[in-house]
Amino acid sequence: MDIAFLTIAELNRAYDWRELSPVEVTRALLDRIATHDHKLDSFIRVTEDVAITQAKTAEAELMAGRRRGPMHGIPYGLKDIVETAGIPTTGHSKLRQHHVPKADAEIVRRLKEGGGILVGKLATWEFANGGPSFDLPWPPARNPWDRERLPGGSSSGPGAAVAAGFVPVAIGTDTGGSIRGPAAVCGIAGLKPTYGRVSRRGVFPNTFTMDHIGPMTRSAEDIALMLQVIAGFDPADPGSEDCPVPDYTAALGGDLHGLRIGLVEGWHDAPGAHPDLGPAIAAAVAVLQGLGATVEPAQLSSLRDYTDCKTTISITELYTIHEQDLRTRPQDFGRILRNRILPGALIRAEDYQAALRWRTALAREQQVAFAQVDALITAAARNIADPAEPDRPDRLVTAPSITMPFSVSGVPAIAIPCGFSQAEGMPLSLQIAAAPMREATVLRLAHAYQQATDWHRRHPKLGE
Amino acid sequence: MRNDLTHLPPASPDEIRAMVKRAGIDLPEELMEQFIATWPQFEAMVRRIPRGLGYADEPAHTFRPSRLAGD
Repeated sequence: MDIAFLTIAELNRAYDWRELSPVEVTRALLDRIATHDHKLDSFIRVTEDVAITQAKTAEAELMAGRRRGPMHGIPYGLKDIVETAGIPTTGHSKLRQHHVPKADAEIVRRLKEGGGILVGKLATWEFANGGPSFDLPWPPARNPWDRERLPGGSSSGPGAAVAAGFVPVAIGTDTGGSIRGPAAVCGIAGLKPTYGRVSRRGVFPNTFTMDHIGPMTRSAEDIALMLQVIAGFDPADPGSEDCPVPDYTAALGGDLHGLRIGLVEGWHDAPGAHPDLGPAIAAAVAVLQGLGATVEPAQLSSLRDYTDCKTTISITELYTIHEQDLRTRPQDFGRILRNRILPGALIRAEDYQAALRWRTALAREQQVAFAQVDALITAAARNIADPAEPDRPDRLVTAPSITMPFSVSGVPAIAIPCGFSQAEGMPLSLQIAAAPMREATVLRLAHAYQQATDWHRRHPKLGE
Repeated sequence: MRNDLTHLPPASPDEIRAMVKRAGIDLPEELMEQFIATWPQFEAMVRRIPRGLGYADEPAHTFRPSRLAGD
């Protein structure tokens, strides 16, 4: 049994049968991190003492027959913008290099209550935005499938650590695709839940209106298990939605008869995509059809429209967040983040308002689509992982993003692996989205696809 | 045809310097030159945003005073 690549579901079964213990699993993963992470730099800080203490507590409770839930005894990592009481939370930035929060983020509180085991704080692009940067106190994380490539961003550490078998699950954040992008290029699963489904309290903001917190795992089933623990209303988060949390695992299983899916035209198949992507998406569509779903074409606004709308809003809010530091210590930001923040100072109020009004219109066009179909599908990345080149130009604005449409609309969207590029052997990924609060539909489709394929069971070799 | 601002000419380096100064930001020359190279992409993006939406097309946020009271 290779502990490194056991899923949350498999670990739970192993605990039930007393085949493994949380302490045994945690020690094995800590050893693996110590042996291999110097090649990937996915961790900013390994919290070994915390992990062993929490593992011993979980083990004692499980041995006593007390099961807190699906995350009990499960090791996890946190993107290092998620605040942890008494443990530095740096944002991967010189500006917060020595910041030690006094309180846990709400999701950390929920994970502690659920018996999770914090293994460490994970690399990110600077403040979940500026990257890949090579001029920060810590190096950028590398992609476990090819260390000369990057793991995407901004949840770069979570993507690399989960794919490398360092943790079965990590918490990422997603403003324009920062969960789904890294999940896509690292060959794992990543869910951006509905805006307001998971509390943002205690997570350093990237924007005020587009930040989402979500799980990154190696299967859709594990996404469901983690989401069950972290989802729910938080009255202290102004964006939190007060609506019931369904049983996400109950939605898994069975075929897909009766489900209607819209394949968005002009997104994954627009010029500039990797040549193997189109055939991979076509094959995924065939699998979903074989499981009983009907697939029809869907038309939405262009990726350029969605990217312009999202980025105008997000850089304006980003500047508001960092204005004071930018005025007083601009040299302490990495070059890429500084040059992404500064434009926000020049966005006029009427431009920001125009983008916010456009956002309503773009979100509404998706609601109209979801009245016709249960889910929309496309790719989760238009290309394979980028090379790790320090002087590569910043492509945030020049390259339209295939994840931003569902950031603009705030609907749930998952990335799951759907193949590998032939020449480079790098992961390709499918993206599935559904109407607000329909995470169960997204997970049902993703799980059914993963029951019929084995892309998610392929793992990178780290030179063992 | 979309109603936007793409017909406007791009800002010159001097105009960019003036806008940064008006925003109250004092950048070292090296950082200013980096920004002057970056800004045109963002300027083009903002100018592609459609204008002239109807009066009832409200921004994608709402002010809910009851939530501030912890309701």
